[in-house]
Amino acid sequence: MTYLLLGYLVVVIIPLLAASWRVSLLGLALQGVLLGWVALKSQSELSATTLIVVVDVGVVRGIVAPWVLQRVLVRSNAPRRNDVIPANLFSWVLVAAIVFASFRFATRLSLVEGGNPMHLATVTAALLLGMFVLASQNSMFSQIVGCLRIENAVALFELSASAHLPALLQLSLSVVFLLTVLLFARFLRGQLQSPQPLDAIEQPTL
Amino acid sequence: MTAATEQRAAASEIGEGTSKRPGRSTPTIALVTLALASVLLSTWLCSGMSAALPVTALHDWLRFDGISRLFLLLVNLVFLGIATYVWGRVNSEAALQKGIGRYVTCVVVFMAASNLALLSNDLIALWVLLEITTLAAVPLIQHGGSQAGRLASWRYFLFSSVGLTFALLGFACIGRGMQLGSLHEASFSIQPASSALQAVSEPWHRLGLVLVLFGFGTKLGLAPMYSWLPDVYEAAPPATTALLAAVQFNVTLVAVLRVLQVYAAADSAIVTLELVALGLGTMALSALNVIAAKNYKRLIAYAALNHAGVIAVGLAVGKAAAYGVLLYAVSNAFIKAILFLTAGKIRSHYGTERMSEVSGLIKDLPFTGLFFMVGSFALLGLPPFGSFLGELIIMSGLVRVGHMFVFAAFCSILTVTFVATGRAVFPMIWGEPKKKAHWGRQPIATMVPKLTFFVALLAMGLYLPAGVNTLFRQAAAELGVR
Repeated sequence: MTYLLLGYLVVVIIPLLAASWRVSLLGLALQGVLLGWVALKSQSELSATTLIVVVDVGVVRGIVAPWVLQRVLVRSNAPRRNDVIPANLFSWVLVAAIVFASFRFATRLSLVEGGNPMHLATVTAALLLGMFVLASQNSMFSQIVGCLRIENAVALFELSASAHLPALLQLSLSVVFLLTVLLFARFLRGQLQSPQPLDAIEQPTL
Repeated sequence: MTAATEQRAAASEIGEGTSKRPGRSTPTIALVTLALASVLLSTWLCSGMSAALPVTALHDWLRFDGISRLFLLLVNLVFLGIATYVWGRVNSEAALQKGIGRYVTCVVVFMAASNLALLSNDLIALWVLLEITTLAAVPLIQHGGSQAGRLASWRYFLFSSVGLTFALLGFACIGRGMQLGSLHEASFSIQPASSALQAVSEPWHRLGLVLVLFGFGTKLGLAPMYSWLPDVYEAAPPATTALLAAVQFNVTLVAVLRVLQVYAAADSAIVTLELVALGLGTMALSALNVIAAKNYKRLIAYAALNHAGVIAVGLAVGKAAAYGVLLYAVSNAFIKAILFLTAGKIRSHYGTERMSEVSGLIKDLPFTGLFFMVGSFALLGLPPFGSFLGELIIMSGLVRVGHMFVFAAFCSILTVTFVATGRAVFPMIWGEPKKKAHWGRQPIATMVPKLTFFVALLAMGLYLPAGVNTLFRQAAAELGVR
């Protein structure tokens, strides 16, 4: 499990250092695949809920979400370069500091409450880095990436629970996530394909 | 007038000019029928179950108690008002029939999810339903196809998604706390969780509670994640704004009430601290923005933020202010519905949202001016409206529990907001008309909902029928655990 979590941490950090939307999406896809792997490893028996969780994290987050966004960007001929975080030394130091602080926090909390400190540290780092992406970027694509990173971090945290939600609720969460991704893609397509001036004449509204 | 304003005015005139004889709109008739059925059903639910509450149904997925019944009645009444308004608007302007089928479909999904969320007996199911209302609201904000609407809907969706993700993370933390404690299994059902709170792990429970309140606070427009709200309320069509401000706000408020009902008793101190900080912070930010506002829709949006802050402070007080909070929240829904729907009329008449360009409403558009005046009075918390009584109970609750510093800050901020709102709104109502008075056509269908809301507002301040008062008391008793 530790290697999987370490791998997750790597795919969370590396795309931040590469200014390319393809690497960002690859990072999200790998996060999903690793989440699916963690989900499979942490379950002792295969139930309906486990299956839904694996499909949610492995297929929806790992394949569908990056694929949908990639399709929109390719069709819109989006420029290759996309900074996930500002490309400067300050941002990189901040990333390192966030990872370091996450491990300190996890170690201290585990001493009091028990649990796997590596798991907690990975979740905390992924969550804070997602927030950093969201806070430091204005472009729609980067904000979507930040949002999905936070969603994945929450999913990783939920995987550490010893029992899952009822199958119906788990399914609802997956469907809502899928709809969210589709709406993200729609927004992105709208922004890339039909820019419209702000002062366009407005029609009467309801 | 600026060039953009002239363009808008011209567009508005074009809209009115091309709409001499619009045909009947089947989707809006269906919407009004559905809204009427919802009101009848919720009235039957409210009057039919007086004893032995709470009642659960559908394998414990649904819960009928004081809170769900009160808010069910409220949101469906507001829904009926908004549906009637939409019907009236579409029937009076042919240009509005474009895309109305899609609009009505989204409203129906939005309202179905809202009703189910109010009845939900599971906090995660409630979360899912709240997310569905968010997804359904995005096309409603974009309706009309303006770039400003699209940008606002993006901000709305982004902030809502992040806020709700934090709330979900909070629930995951609370669940972890239950598993690490002696419960071993996490349950988010409203009943059992409250009875087993002593057995949870404290740090996880506290962290979870803070995150859940922060997440739902974002959806309510509480500081620091409030900036989406004025943008959305300004850019969305008035009917959508009224839906968001009066329906979705209250559904989210019920989510907060449920969380407090179930989890707050075990961690009263941190809940009070967070709610006071969020509430006072929001009120202060709202006061500053009301002073600077130049656009009347934005002004109402900032005043709505102030109301959210007042409710947060009231919730922090707990039992002593529970009745006042409910009275204030329900009044608030009617006030926002009146004001945003009236703002729609003002916008279509003047073709601008700038306050400096609207003057002498009471002479120019007497009915609209009257509703705007009444809404503004209620917004400012003047007697005899329910908002006045609610505010008074919250303030007396603050004094009773000994939060004197919070009381002082609360009163000071309210005074600043009161003066700033009055200074901005009163010239719009009583000033000299800047153009020749033109008694625009005001269809009865757009006035009836506002008149109904006005009567409800007055009734809450002057006389509440015994049945409705019982509903308020039941809901307040369920809230008043702390």
